[in-house]
Amino acid sequence: MDKKVKVVPCSGIGKVYGLMAREAVLKTVFELCPEKSETVCLAYIVTGDKEVKEKIEGCDCITVDGCPKMCASKNVSIAGGIVVEEMKVLDTVKEHKGQKFGSPTQLNTDGDSVISEIAEKIAKKINEIN
Amino acid sequence: MVENYAVLPCNGLDKCAGVISRELAIKLCENVKNEIICPVFYRVAEAKYNKIAGKRPLLVIDGCQTRCASKLAAEKSLKISRKVTITEEAKNHNIELRSNLRLLENENALIEIILNELNNDEDKVTLFSDETNVVYNFEYVTFQNGKFIFRVPKNPEVYYNENDCWAYVIGNRARIGVTDFVQQNLSDILYFTPPDIGAEIDQFGEVGEIESSKSLIDIISPVSGKVISINETLVQKPELINENPYELGWIAELELTDFEGDKELLIGFDKYFEIMKKKVEDLNG
Repeated sequence: MDKKVKVVPCSGIGKVYGLMAREAVLKTVFELCPEKSETVCLAYIVTGDKEVKEKIEGCDCITVDGCPKMCASKNVSIAGGIVVEEMKVLDTVKEHKGQKFGSPTQLNTDGDSVISEIAEKIAKKINEIN
Repeated sequence: MVENYAVLPCNGLDKCAGVISRELAIKLCENVKNEIICPVFYRVAEAKYNKIAGKRPLLVIDGCQTRCASKLAAEKSLKISRKVTITEEAKNHNIELRSNLRLLENENALIEIILNELNNDEDKVTLFSDETNVVYNFEYVTFQNGKFIFRVPKNPEVYYNENDCWAYVIGNRARIGVTDFVQQNLSDILYFTPPDIGAEIDQFGEVGEIESSKSLIDIISPVSGKVISINETLVQKPELINENPYELGWIAELELTDFEGDKELLIGFDKYFEIMKKKVEDLNG
């Protein structure tokens, strides 16, 4: 079985927190932990396609959700992934009261800074697992 | 300008083409009246998007051949008005997509090209109903049998059925009419009965009648949709169909309801031209 931890963001479109989830995951899997983690496309997972199901079934997964709907966590579980950590962008955002992070299409400097923080948290979890 | 669409991108994450689909969707929804549909959220909470998807024409943007967005549209029984597949567009424009997920010069250039193409197509649609501004740019291929000359446009946007009717499709609209084969066979056309504006027409349903001294025929619509405009000039001057059945002699305009489905039963220039030639030869022994 593929031992890389699967890190799946909600891929939200239309809200800044969805964009932050996506960007934090990309930073993690491409910059911080490229050897130990990879991402899987949630939009593909929800199609129920056999190929993508096989990719996450029984694998350790970290989900990163932008809002309380928890699309990533719910759908990864449905597809058979083992969600070892459910991360919520809002948990980190709450630590930055009063800040604005950009728009649903573009993060500002504060947004970039917070996604680095979230990415560090994800990386820490990956290193604990592997 | 692409406006008032519901835009459903695959919103892909793990391929460059998917990231482009997302960026393209976002750009389409910036500053104009389009609404984006999140493919992931749509699956878990469809009520949020059902209203948008039901009321507006749907533009689907797939990143790759997995076609996640198209599959979702099919699953929700949505009718697709326009469709873009990023990998196909890249190939058509000789742009090589990288494996990296960050968009650089090539990828951004492709987004701009697709945006321009989509907007240009829409601009043609808005010109449809203003006859003075219609630019067809039809490229005709001709076939002669005795003294009769048959012209057929070979443009890829023109589709045909075997009932000798054509549909010129731009965006989510089509202008329809009959081919030279019909007008040559009918000879002098004397009457035109248009369809009702607002009528819902099935594919291969009747969309008006034309009559000559020789015969009366139903016009068989190549596409399904709602009649949004008719060529009123033809009521007074049906002979325009004889003069030029593809331009001045157009019959009606339809807002398409299921073009992706209709397309499966339509034929392009190459096949129609062969069918028409055979019909002409059979008629003339």
